[in-house]
Amino acid sequence: MTQSVSTVRSVLLTHRLLVRQLLTPGRLLALLSLGAVVVLAAVGVAASDEVEDPARTIIEVMDGLGLVLVVPVVSLVFASASLGDLREDGTLVYLWLRPMDRLSVVAGAYLAALTVSLPLTTLPLAAAALVGKATVDGVIATVVAASFGVLAYSAAFVLLGLMIRNPIIWGLAYVLVWEGIFARFSEPVGNAAVRGYTRSLLANLSDVGLGPAAEANTSTAVLVCVFVAAGSLAMAAVRLNRMEVD
Amino acid sequence: MSNVSPPPPPPPPPPPGTRISSPTPSEPLIGAEDLSAWPGTGPVMVEAIGVTKSFGDVVAVSDVTFQIGSGVTAILGPNGAGKSTLFRMLCGLTQPSSGTVTVLGRNAGADREVRGRIGLAPQQDALFDRLSAGAFVALAAQTHGVVRAESRTREVLAQVELDVDDPKPVGSFSKGMRQRVKLAAALVNDPDVLVLDEPLTGLDPIQRQRMIALFGELAERGKCLLVSSHVLDEVARLGSNVLVLAQGRLAAAGDYRSLRDLMDDRPHRVRVGTDRPQQLAAALIERGSARGVTVLADAVIVDIDDIDGFGRIIAPLTVDLGLRLDELVPLDDDLESVFRYLVERRR
Amino acid sequence: MTAPAEIFDRGYRRYEGERTGVWQAMRSVLWHTIRSVLGIGRKGRHKVFPALVALVAFLPSIAFLAFAVLIGDMLSEELRPPYWELFGLPILVVVLFATLVAPEALVRDRRDGMFRLYLSTPLTKPTYLLAKFAAVMAVMAIVVAGPVLLLLVGYTVQNLGPDGFGAWIGVSGRILLSSVLIVGFMAALSLGASSLTDRRAIASVGVLGAVVGVSIVVGICVDAIGLRHELRVLDPLGAPVEMAARIFGEVGPAGESRGSAATPTWLVFTGVAAWTTVWLSVLVTRYRRLTAV
Repeated sequence: MTQSVSTVRSVLLTHRLLVRQLLTPGRLLALLSLGAVVVLAAVGVAASDEVEDPARTIIEVMDGLGLVLVVPVVSLVFASASLGDLREDGTLVYLWLRPMDRLSVVAGAYLAALTVSLPLTTLPLAAAALVGKATVDGVIATVVAASFGVLAYSAAFVLLGLMIRNPIIWGLAYVLVWEGIFARFSEPVGNAAVRGYTRSLLANLSDVGLGPAAEANTSTAVLVCVFVAAGSLAMAAVRLNRMEVD
Repeated sequence: MSNVSPPPPPPPPPPPGTRISSPTPSEPLIGAEDLSAWPGTGPVMVEAIGVTKSFGDVVAVSDVTFQIGSGVTAILGPNGAGKSTLFRMLCGLTQPSSGTVTVLGRNAGADREVRGRIGLAPQQDALFDRLSAGAFVALAAQTHGVVRAESRTREVLAQVELDVDDPKPVGSFSKGMRQRVKLAAALVNDPDVLVLDEPLTGLDPIQRQRMIALFGELAERGKCLLVSSHVLDEVARLGSNVLVLAQGRLAAAGDYRSLRDLMDDRPHRVRVGTDRPQQLAAALIERGSARGVTVLADAVIVDIDDIDGFGRIIAPLTVDLGLRLDELVPLDDDLESVFRYLVERRR
Repeated sequence: MTAPAEIFDRGYRRYEGERTGVWQAMRSVLWHTIRSVLGIGRKGRHKVFPALVALVAFLPSIAFLAFAVLIGDMLSEELRPPYWELFGLPILVVVLFATLVAPEALVRDRRDGMFRLYLSTPLTKPTYLLAKFAAVMAVMAIVVAGPVLLLLVGYTVQNLGPDGFGAWIGVSGRILLSSVLIVGFMAALSLGASSLTDRRAIASVGVLGAVVGVSIVVGICVDAIGLRHELRVLDPLGAPVEMAARIFGEVGPAGESRGSAATPTWLVFTGVAAWTTVWLSVLVTRYRRLTAV
């Protein structure tokens, strides 16, 4: 009657279920609006007579809006909800009490978050970069920096969704307070914030200086994002295995 | 009012509706220390040894030990007794604070393979509301690794009388329909152990009958079903094996009729229908055959310690007295009475 | 002779006592909402977030007070921030606080079924919303008025406060008036945004979007596209602080423009009032359509 569920199949089943659960009209509308704000900003840059170097200015806008707001908030909304909503609703048991290993479930949730978050971040940011007259390098830098940001943030917020009851609030506190305020004034704190590394990627690949908080080299930035993602997912699998499920 | 004149001197006959009883002795508990291995047939499928679960200062389950084999076992207890916590531990959804709990010899929380052999219909109403019934059950089938998931989905949904092709999301279903979706999802992998927390909630009487029949069939096929319910007369129809929890402790385990016999501190209560109840009541009191009597218009309710002995003497007694014996009905041999006696003593 | 007897428990009886009416019901909703939001009577983890955020909101005031204590004699008036600026410095933290408070106050009741229970009492939808509004205002006042009042009291103790009792009353009155208006605006916005969804998480993001998102759009329109600077009265982040500046008789950064006159004060107040009205309308309309079943 039954056979064991392979890792790949577990990932795919979880992914398919959660993509469907994540794509609600309210969420899509809210986060598309956020992307639209960035495009609007780019329109402003392109239309403004006072901007001397639009290619540089648009990269600063991508930094200040895209990497600071759009990428972390979009990642937070979907990644924390991927397993967090199931935990809150009491439906996590329908994935937990199955002959599937925990890491597959976490991987499936993570991939579901990426499936939704990547297009909702990279496409508007790329469009904004193009509209704002960025160079080719600038567009590529924007997409790469946003992608690695989504990779790192999504994994961290999948873990957050499993650990605490109100992950959005804590995630916003991390984004607005830790990364938005403390990381700006303290280098050690800045080194413990994902934003510094995504900004470094953007600065290095576009060749636009973004200040002292964005001076990690490209390899370091990539590796940190990958380690944050891998570490978070491993911890999430451990957490899923040990947690009490309602 | 009848007069009874046995020598010497006759006790005045009690007026109708009067209850007479002698004080009951202090009651020993039928506690965990009396319990041992489940005496049923076949291998042990679910086992708990010294299981305790605490949530902070609250002890939800305390030192529970039992073994369960195939067939239907009802888990009974008042609200807050620890039934759902026990079910969650069995399925590995929460780990015991101490003790061990195994299903098919393994810990469901840690063992992937045994999780595929458990079917759980939890008490809470939560489902993936945006999926249709067919999609929900199909998901359960696929995540259990069911071969031919589609045909199996169709089969179990038909068993619970739901349409697999209905596109409506389960979020729009009534409580009874949602319950049936849960049951179908629990059955889809043909589990060896079924854990059903309040499975009959929300079902109409006909559906309940069908579910009870289905559970009986599964039990006969060698499955182990653990059912928690408050609808005791239906639980009694599922089978006679019970585990009774009260205040987190295991108050009793076994066939509830045998449990009733074990309760020698609780007199049996029998209704004896007769044409002259007062005369019969007086005779029983005089002979010391009853601990207490209640006289009704057409019957006597008798509290007796020795039900078998009473059964031997009542017919000759009524003949001797020239009374008509209309009926002899045990009043507290049912599951509800057993449950009440076991739980009341804990309060 | 029979012994005296007394019945102690007749079981179910009708309630014959005083019925305190809708005002008491509103007070009850208000108090329990405040308790819920601040985690009072709940486990410690429910208190951590509001406490942390409140602490961060107080940090600028604490920093200025620390300067005053350490170098008070050398701290001239020019080096001391105007009181109205303390409404602006922690503004993002205030917004973060709002993303917690309003969803917790409003969305939880709808999700848990408490809303329909409230409506089975003397409360109606308007009185229920009024109580919730008051509760959110009370909680928001902690992070809006608290830091500024702390600074006022601290400066006063350090003899750096307003000169004379009359001036002190004047400053504290302005602080309180500014606080009430800012808190009312934030409460209307956050409750209105929270009324649109049944998930607290989405409500929180909605509140953030309604504030930060709109602020960004206004900034783009004015700074990048070059539209009139008066449009800043629609900036949910800047306009309330500008309003506080005007109450103190000054012009804030949102009201200034290079080469043109400052935004008229009546326009600043109108902008804040307009947003407050819009979000209150959203809240009332949404709840009018809500069925409590």
